[in-house]
Amino acid sequence: MPPVSSHNNNTDKNLITRRTTILGVGGVGIFGVLAARLYQLQVLQAENYRALSDNNRFNFNMLMPERGQIRDRFGVALARNRQNYRLVMIAERTGEIEKTLDSVSRISPISPGQRKRIDKDIRQNPKFVPILVQDNIDWETFTAINMRLHALPGIVSEAGQGRAYPENGVFSHVLGYVGRAGNKDIEADKDPLLKQPTFRIGKTGVEAAEEKTLRGASGKLKVEVNARGRIVREWPDPATHATPGKDVWLTLDSELQEFAAKQFATEDEGDDSGGVCLIDVITGELRTLLSMPTFDANLFVSGLTQLDMDRMNNDPKRPQYNKAIAGGYPPASTYKMAVMLAALESGLINPDKTVYCSGKVKVGRRDFHCWKRRGHGSMNMRDALKNSCDSYFYETVQILGVDAIANVARRLGLGQSYDISIKGAISGIIPTEAWKKERLGTGWRTGDSLNASIGQGFVLATPLQLAVMTARIANSLEAVVPHLVISKSLPQFEPLDFNPQHLAFVRDAMWSVTSEPGGTAFRHKPFGTDSAFKGIEMAGKTGTGQVRRISKSERATGIRKNSRLPWKLRDHSIFVGFAPYDRPRFAVGTIVEHGGSGAKRAANISRAVLGEALRRDGLGNGAAVDPGALE
Amino acid sequence: MAARSGSFYNVESASNGSLTGKLFEINWLLPTLVAVLGLVGVVMIYAATDGVWRYGALQHLMRIGFGGLVMLTVALIDIRIWYRLAYPAYAIGLVLLIGVEFFGVEVNGSARWLDFGVARLQPSEIMKPAIVLALARYYHDLRADRVSHIFGLIGALILLVMPMMLILRQPDLGTTLLLATSGFAVVFLAGISWRVIGFASIFAAVGIPLFFRFGLKPYQQERVLTFMDPSRDPTGASYHITQSKIALGSGGVKGKGFMRGTQRQGEYVPENRTDFIFTVIGEEFGLIGGLLTMGLYMAVIGVCIWLSLKCKEMFAKLLILGLTTTFTLYIFINLGMVMGLAPVVGVPLPLISYGGTVILAVMGGFGLILSAHLYRGVELPRSG
Repeated sequence: MPPVSSHNNNTDKNLITRRTTILGVGGVGIFGVLAARLYQLQVLQAENYRALSDNNRFNFNMLMPERGQIRDRFGVALARNRQNYRLVMIAERTGEIEKTLDSVSRISPISPGQRKRIDKDIRQNPKFVPILVQDNIDWETFTAINMRLHALPGIVSEAGQGRAYPENGVFSHVLGYVGRAGNKDIEADKDPLLKQPTFRIGKTGVEAAEEKTLRGASGKLKVEVNARGRIVREWPDPATHATPGKDVWLTLDSELQEFAAKQFATEDEGDDSGGVCLIDVITGELRTLLSMPTFDANLFVSGLTQLDMDRMNNDPKRPQYNKAIAGGYPPASTYKMAVMLAALESGLINPDKTVYCSGKVKVGRRDFHCWKRRGHGSMNMRDALKNSCDSYFYETVQILGVDAIANVARRLGLGQSYDISIKGAISGIIPTEAWKKERLGTGWRTGDSLNASIGQGFVLATPLQLAVMTARIANSLEAVVPHLVISKSLPQFEPLDFNPQHLAFVRDAMWSVTSEPGGTAFRHKPFGTDSAFKGIEMAGKTGTGQVRRISKSERATGIRKNSRLPWKLRDHSIFVGFAPYDRPRFAVGTIVEHGGSGAKRAANISRAVLGEALRRDGLGNGAAVDPGALE
Repeated sequence: MAARSGSFYNVESASNGSLTGKLFEINWLLPTLVAVLGLVGVVMIYAATDGVWRYGALQHLMRIGFGGLVMLTVALIDIRIWYRLAYPAYAIGLVLLIGVEFFGVEVNGSARWLDFGVARLQPSEIMKPAIVLALARYYHDLRADRVSHIFGLIGALILLVMPMMLILRQPDLGTTLLLATSGFAVVFLAGISWRVIGFASIFAAVGIPLFFRFGLKPYQQERVLTFMDPSRDPTGASYHITQSKIALGSGGVKGKGFMRGTQRQGEYVPENRTDFIFTVIGEEFGLIGGLLTMGLYMAVIGVCIWLSLKCKEMFAKLLILGLTTTFTLYIFINLGMVMGLAPVVGVPLPLISYGGTVILAVMGGFGLILSAHLYRGVELPRSG
């Protein structure tokens, strides 16, 4: 068999041509398959893929509404919004969450506590929800992050709105603060805004009470995003804009409030603790509602550190506690107006009738002492108030009975809580026989009556209630109810329904306290020497709330001076008053915790605040804010 | 004019033996088509990089230009020199691959590159034309009756398996398959008997599952499995395929328009400057653009086959057809991958994808094809 020696023979050539044809046909077939596949993708399924492409491309971002501001009666912003730079992370756009956070932390350190919260947020939220990484970062850090965003997948830098309280803390108790919506908030309110980790809801105070007004409504923004969640383009549509929240106007006067806060300063013990409430006796508008000392609500917005928390909780003056509406104190001698009015209304006691004060009254086997150990001598009703003679009221309550006094006290506004928008106003206690039976299960004793007659024992009232009581006495016709938020219509009040002559008698007696020589709070010129105040007089009543029991041995050896006692054991200093005497405009109720005699600390503060309120109001001739001018 | 050095070799068509004369005799249809594809690449890279010239389009243009020079230079060099260089080229390729084994630069978990300071080289790309050269020479030298003989088979198998093993170790599944398929195509064209093909097929049917189980790295297995069932891995490789299909499908018949691809703008398709550049074509120019591109490729392949038919020598024919097969496989694997018909194996779209070594290898390959055609009258010796 001759060997095939050449490749150039025909069979060989034909073979390779044949095989080339086979491969060529196969190749054309594969090109055909590819073309068919392309046809399938780009023609048959094109619609489907176009939808998927749009799905990739567009996101709907929730637009946060701008929160309404809270303003004082003159429009001064007490709670406003400021630019807040923050970082959020969209977990589903982040390849490795830990690595990304580490990278962020190298630029802007994330504390272990923050890290814990972020991890928790990531676990608890769907992967597409933006999680707050850092809030309130400064501009330098913000730009540094922005420069490196390309290396931080899923991280989005935002310039959002943060809440700020510029007024130095003196409104903290009233305004409250905002914070992240908790689980309870989210359960109670189905607004999807609450689930946005960057949203802030009102937690306390006006922020919480007026949440619906302040919040506004969320909007939607159609945005084109790339594979890493970066916004490529925005597609704004006016129909889906966020609706900003409305402003809330308060009846408070910010400058007066600050003025009042300054009065609480002491030389050596920081700010005194207590509350002051100044009310318009005609409209019930609160011009001042202050609890001292204050705290900085901004701390609550940016996140309270453990140190801040401990400092507040361990402060004996309890700064976070709103004493003006939630602090119940024995009204002490300021309660005597209620006893006096009850006596007049009952017709059982002739105001000219005198009681002899020997310094103590014996009931059964117990001695009840007047604050003046040597006694006041003969006292009629007016003098008894002017000198704050306890003995007179001990005698009076034994004739009237405690229930008659409680009835009048309630009608004057004590023993009930007021809806002044913000939560936390307590009702205090005006004891009756039935009350004691129900609450303590024991019978009423004469001693209880005697204690109640001088505003001690079970009686508890707040600065707000004391101001309301004083306002009603000053108003004389209407049962004034306080309010804090300016509404469109002036409030309508129930008639007070006391004999106006009786009220005039009480007012005159209160005038004698402050304006007649010998009165417990007498001051020749209560509002200073300013000639503008010429002829403007005030009326009021002091109260010294006893905190401790004075033992018999102590009485024998002599009562220690208040200022020598530890702070916690000192008496509460209380004062109520109104001015001008002849055409009342404002009433004030002040309590200084452990401030000693009512004639001193509380009376001084009340006089100053009353005077300032009058001065700012055109000395009683100014009008209240015209509600029609709003909106 | 009368100096007929060419006639010495009995070159029918070479009326002028000078280099410029040779230049005119080159089949210019092929370089033209190649240049057009290269320019398509420039335009698409420009789009893929959001219209920034220096992010690739400019480099690509320069590489096409340089590649063109290399192609023409290779084309002008006598086929006998290439014939002589066939085994040395293969040996150099093998040495470089062994070099990768020891000094390879690792990128994305596999070492495929050699860093020479001035340039990075991907030796597996060099191996693609080299293996074809070597096999073409092997079969040119082998007597036809020994092609299906056991010794003839073993020789070819050794040539083929050595580089395959080295490339698989890098690991680079795509290139290994490409190399193997081109090699087997040459073996098939050389005239291996159908009986052997039958046995080989049975062997492959048993061997491939075993190879999958023991020969592949876990990530390679994962890719193949993900390809078979895209729901396996929603973020990894199938994300790539899904986004790629969305880009193509949303392009529709006419496409979204040049520079208007939203999938591209949103950077949803990774690697769309390199391996996934066809998604940019499909998204911005639609079915029309895609089919035109495929048409261009078919034209190139068609011209190459036509050139092979005009050659007489076994070496020339096998060289042209083997290189054409490699080129075709690039296209098939790449398009199949982009359209979701093949696993994601990292094979570029030749001449269009960004990447220097591939352009050089492919254009050098076309240079060899042109050379084989240009010197088709030359008789080659047979050492064997």
